[in-house]
Amino acid sequence: MEYGFDINYVFDFIPKLLSTLNITLLIVAGAIGLGLLIGFLVALPRLYNVPVLRNVSMVYVSFFRGTPILIQLFLFYYGLPEILKLVSIDISKLPVIYFVILTFGLNVAAFVSETIRAAVLAVNRGQVEAAYAVGMTGYQAFTRIVLPQAVAIAIPVFSNLVIAMLKDTSLAFTLGVMEMTGKAQTLGSLSQHFIETYIALALIYLVMSIALERLMLVAERRLSRHMRRDASEKNRFFTRRRKRLTLGGLTRELKPGNKEVPRYEA
Amino acid sequence: MKLDPSFIWTAFLQLWSAVPTTLYITVVSVSVGFVIGIITALARIYRIPVLSQLSSGYVTFIRGTPMLTHLLLIYFGLPMLVDGLSAHYGLGWNSAKIPMIGFAYISFSITAGAYLSEVVRSGLLAVDRGQMEAAWSVGMTTPQALRRIVFPQALAASLPNLSNSVIGMLHGSTLAFTVSVVDLNAKAQIVASTNWKFFESYVAAALIFWGLTILIERITGLIERRIRVYSKGGVA
Amino acid sequence: MIKLNGIRKSFGRHEVLQGIDLTVNKGEVVAILGPSGSGKTTLLRCINYLEKPSDGQIQIGDFTLDCKHAGKKDIYSLRQRSAMVFQQYNLFSHKTALENVIEGLIVVKKVGKEEARKRGIELLEKVGLGAKLDAYPSQLSGGQQQRVGIARALALEPEVILFDEPTSALDPELVGEVLAVIRRIAKEGITMIIVTHEMGFAQDVANHVVFMDGGVIVEEGNPAELFGNPKEERTKQFLKRFTTEYSYSI
Repeated sequence: MEYGFDINYVFDFIPKLLSTLNITLLIVAGAIGLGLLIGFLVALPRLYNVPVLRNVSMVYVSFFRGTPILIQLFLFYYGLPEILKLVSIDISKLPVIYFVILTFGLNVAAFVSETIRAAVLAVNRGQVEAAYAVGMTGYQAFTRIVLPQAVAIAIPVFSNLVIAMLKDTSLAFTLGVMEMTGKAQTLGSLSQHFIETYIALALIYLVMSIALERLMLVAERRLSRHMRRDASEKNRFFTRRRKRLTLGGLTRELKPGNKEVPRYEA
Repeated sequence: MKLDPSFIWTAFLQLWSAVPTTLYITVVSVSVGFVIGIITALARIYRIPVLSQLSSGYVTFIRGTPMLTHLLLIYFGLPMLVDGLSAHYGLGWNSAKIPMIGFAYISFSITAGAYLSEVVRSGLLAVDRGQMEAAWSVGMTTPQALRRIVFPQALAASLPNLSNSVIGMLHGSTLAFTVSVVDLNAKAQIVASTNWKFFESYVAAALIFWGLTILIERITGLIERRIRVYSKGGVA
Repeated sequence: MIKLNGIRKSFGRHEVLQGIDLTVNKGEVVAILGPSGSGKTTLLRCINYLEKPSDGQIQIGDFTLDCKHAGKKDIYSLRQRSAMVFQQYNLFSHKTALENVIEGLIVVKKVGKEEARKRGIELLEKVGLGAKLDAYPSQLSGGQQQRVGIARALALEPEVILFDEPTSALDPELVGEVLAVIRRIAKEGITMIIVTHEMGFAQDVANHVVFMDGGVIVEEGNPAELFGNPKEERTKQFLKRFTTEYSYSI
């Protein structure tokens, strides 16, 4: 073809890029795991209104949601070794991928904490009262009544978080990590067929995002059986079809006080 | 290398020169993206043949791939397209004339368009069908009803998502450094490497972004309070 | 027997309950009437400790709780002796009708799953919902939800069931089915305290009627006495308003 574009390169590059898929998935899994753990810890002081710690949580969340993830990446990559050097711990030889997972994990934690908080607050107050009225303890009411409902509310947002994290792994190349995007750049400059490489790269991300979304949708359906209301479906304008793609991803729409979370009004 | 907190302030001052570039990229991509978003959202809601399928494909593709790949695809693909067309039709165009920031504008607008399409769509879907029927019943035409009744309510409903999209694009603009645009992030890199003070420079950059984000949230809060007067007291 | 002694409750500076004394004998059905803001719902919620009274004693059966020094254990024991039927039903929305009824049996009373199921099915049949065991609350009408709520309360075999305006969130055509269920269980000799606006129902079902206003009990007595020949001026006013409201409604 006259632009020098050759579709065969795309098919040629896909398996080559997939050889680094494990690195991409490792970053996603590591960051999400770490993020869930830290996110839960960060959410607790605000749910239980612990003075001082509550404010620390708020600043933590505000910082990680208020700055670009790329800046955070550089900040931790360059900053952490210097700060730890002050207490004479040398981590300058630690492989870069640990910094990536740590930064992304801390970032995800901020969003996870907000998600947990919003979901717990979205569970109707009457549910807790009813639990108390049948004689449950505070712990029983939380684990048996509030938590299962909150998890069902949080799943769509969580699904967006995972997909956003998958896409953000593409930033790891800036620190020289050989995940899929890094690999694509190398392949591009070696072959000088940049456009074909990036098409191949985009296709892989696309398929993975769609697969993840479908997977999460199955989980959502299972966990929110109780929310399907065949009798009293609300009459909405335009289409009667349910929203197919959930909002969010890059924009991560869950704000404190956002009205997006479904409410459990009987 | 020693930590030098006072350099944070120095870096802070030097970084200011790059703030306009970051803001330009954000404003352009959100504005153009909003127009794209409205068109594609309406195409999908009204199920306009061809256009609605194209819109769905566009939104799915963009939302399923990293913003960085959009930028790289435009950066390498657009010159190919421009030069190819130019050679074919003898237009005398030359892709080298496209300024670097042009690639960022085009690519980020395309990214923003897909996300805003979802924001607009969910906003419109949040408006109760009864509102449209009431507008018809007082004799309005559909365009009138959309403009006077549905859009204002949809805007109010989608304000939080809209604000998050703006913040998302502000943060996403840091990717512009990959096509050699000197935005805040690129400037921080320059300041960092010329002074060999990486941490301090990025702290300064982070603080500026943090401030800008809080500013956007505050402004949104103000608008929200004004726009939502009608729903006061309700359990929205 | 339930005995309330000097129950007080304030929200901020506003004292909603100004020392309530009330005795309810075993098997008695007590209706609490009064204008909105009179404190009747708050009193009911205090008995279940959903509101913490600022002062007073609550006795249910052989258990007495002093509100001034109530520990967690005391609160749980008190709650296990009573059950509540809410105005907004408050069914656990992620559980089916049957699961709602047996949740307390399994978690609190530690009854085995099979036995709890058997008991739950019995109770749901009793309230006329034997066909809706596996329906989620969102799939039930308001009246059906409230009947599940009543079955849930019955399951715990409490010494008293507290009804907080059980029909006021319902569409008028659904009120009847819920009242019928309450009427039926009242005949079985279960102790009940009902806050309600349904005057006819109170007159018909209750053995004892309490009229509250401004955080105090203004007057109490048997239904015939209180409805037929109220002594206090405030009671007369209240009852008059209600009867006129009904007779002149178009």
